[in-house]
Amino acid sequence: MADTLVRAAPVQATGPRRRAGSRTRPRSGPAYLLLLPAVAILLLGLGYPVYWQVVTSLQEYGLAQQFGQPPEFVGLENYARIFAEDDLWAVVVRSLIFCMVNAAATVGIGLALALLMRAVRPWVRLVLQSCLLLAWAMPMVAAVTVWRWLFDWRTGVVNWLLVQIGFDGYAGHNWLAQPLSFFFVATVIIVWMSVPFVALSIFAGLTQVPDEVLEAARIDGAGPAQTLRHILVPMVRPVIAIVLLLQVIWDLRVFAQIRLLQDSGAPVSETNLLGNFIFELGIGRQDFAGAATVSILVLLLTVLLSWPYVRSLMKELS
Amino acid sequence: MLASLTLTACSGDSDEPSDEPAGDDDVAAEGAEITLWLAGGDTPQELRDYLIDTFAAENPGSTLTIEEVGWGDLVTRLTTALPDAANTPDVVEIGNTQSPTFTTVGAFRDLSGIYDELGGSDLLQSFVEVGSVDGKQYALPYYFGSRYMFYRKDIWTAAGLEVPTTLGEFADAVAQLKTDTQSGFAMGGQDWRNGISWVFAHGGELATVDGDTWTSTLSDPKTIEGLEAWQSIYQTASNIPATERDVAYWDFLNDGTDGAAPAAATIMAPGWARWSLGDLTTNDAGEEVRDGMADTNKWGIFGLPGVDGGLAPVFAGGSNIAISAQSQNPELAENLLRIIFSEDYQTMLGQNGLGPGNTQYTSSLGDDEFAQTMMDTAAASKLTPAAPGWAAVEAAFVYEELFQKIAEGGDVAALAAEYDDIITPMLNG
Repeated sequence: MADTLVRAAPVQATGPRRRAGSRTRPRSGPAYLLLLPAVAILLLGLGYPVYWQVVTSLQEYGLAQQFGQPPEFVGLENYARIFAEDDLWAVVVRSLIFCMVNAAATVGIGLALALLMRAVRPWVRLVLQSCLLLAWAMPMVAAVTVWRWLFDWRTGVVNWLLVQIGFDGYAGHNWLAQPLSFFFVATVIIVWMSVPFVALSIFAGLTQVPDEVLEAARIDGAGPAQTLRHILVPMVRPVIAIVLLLQVIWDLRVFAQIRLLQDSGAPVSETNLLGNFIFELGIGRQDFAGAATVSILVLLLTVLLSWPYVRSLMKELS
Repeated sequence: MLASLTLTACSGDSDEPSDEPAGDDDVAAEGAEITLWLAGGDTPQELRDYLIDTFAAENPGSTLTIEEVGWGDLVTRLTTALPDAANTPDVVEIGNTQSPTFTTVGAFRDLSGIYDELGGSDLLQSFVEVGSVDGKQYALPYYFGSRYMFYRKDIWTAAGLEVPTTLGEFADAVAQLKTDTQSGFAMGGQDWRNGISWVFAHGGELATVDGDTWTSTLSDPKTIEGLEAWQSIYQTASNIPATERDVAYWDFLNDGTDGAAPAAATIMAPGWARWSLGDLTTNDAGEEVRDGMADTNKWGIFGLPGVDGGLAPVFAGGSNIAISAQSQNPELAENLLRIIFSEDYQTMLGQNGLGPGNTQYTSSLGDDEFAQTMMDTAAASKLTPAAPGWAAVEAAFVYEELFQKIAEGGDVAALAAEYDDIITPMLNG
């Protein structure tokens, strides 16, 4: 994936390649034909669930309907009902903040690691890359379980370490009891799991920066900070933009990590994010219509958040 | 996930699901595969093997597949699997308090035709009622459990304490036993399934029904009294965080590593917790196991005492069993129920410490202290409200939150009023 991103980046950034692309235009008929299977699969795989979601959000659909009673069309009643709940807006705000903080932290740390990889000797880089890949390849449930053990109030290493270095108040401290420290632990886990992808993508982007440019900058007397600000970051901006966008979308939909942490004891309604809220409505309370309604809202939020990027991408292409 | 894939494969291979119910006799003659979903690991392997073997012997050509579904996933899995004729399990175990959620929407097959044959009025009636709608039985009692107190007799004796006879004495004793490193009574703040015993003991209820309408009654003075008693006992006797629930309490009562002092002097747990308690010993297979509280000077049990003596009503755990309305092999499924409600199987349940659904066979539990305490506490036990929305309340962790806030020292009356407003609409589905 990193490879594709890198190759995509120069296409947007440089002129000659774009012209190379336009040379193929006369033969665009077969190209559209080749697109057809992908579009068909998208429509089947995504279109039908979205259609079902929209229809369900306009019906009264609970457990009775799941067991065969005909659902009744209620128009926008579900929207009125769900949007009137204070719970929902608390969850939306919480999710947006959580998503932004996580995406920013992930990309920031990822960029730092990518620069580090560029600066160190090859064997150190190899060790770093292997570690990152291992962290990324770790199955999520296993990773969250280990993190839960680390932060366990009774037998966790984190509390033990804090007590060893003199913070006695952390003996038996429960990290998951308060929403703020709960989200701190969740952020640590999620950033830890997503940094590798970001770091490796940006690093791959950095390897494409021509040495001549850097050499020229050095001759002109640019220091490391200036090189970073005026040369490196602008040249890998497309990569950073797309990983940031992906990260925002992924972090808005985070579900399992939060759910697994909640299972080890946390005030559930105060730590729910959008995904968990939908799960609780649909699966927990069997209010499938309400869950569908919130899902549509999440879809709209995602479109809204990714719109600036999509627009700039379209501008580049046209 | 794996289980459901297997399930699809199974039913696809042999049941040949179709939209119309298959001719029962045909299927029985051809032989078919039926599936039983058991919840959690409560049913021992020996009993599972018995069911599989006996079913195969009595229904030549047909086989029984048993799949285990975790308690936490059960309602979710049933919600998606039961309406789907191609993927539904034929027979399912379900928590007794979860039954109404499914019986009221017609998810289960009417069993009133074979009710008398399976035991009729001998079956545990509180469980039968929770599985009935309009006088028809849809889910029948599988087994009942009960919970009682396990305590470290050595620690209690050293402190000069005796088995308490009233709830007040119990509260004083466990408060006295609490130190920085030892809970007098280990209980997590979110652990409402144990905590509601204090509500019941004070004559309180979680909810009442008038006609079809359920009302949450946390603000009832008696319920508040019970919740306050529980708040006080949590704060004076337990070192466990307010966010904990479903704690493996036996780990706290057992000696620590290398004979270190235990982290608790008393716990409340279902009867089977006995086999996770005691001193370490080696079984026939050479594995290190607990000896089941063999040293009676060190370990003991008692039922939670009532406010004025006697026994406090505790929350009775337990399961019902039902046939999916969409089962393609209802005759075979009924045959399986006949095996489950047979004297042999009911007796085996009792011998394994699970209270048999048919009260005629309760004596199979044995006559030792454990069996006696279990029967006594079960007789005094209560169920949670049989409201249609009960499973939804459980799934949303509402009581967990309420009890956590109470454990953290919140104002009980204010919290009760706040949560009544949340719970009442949920109860009515």
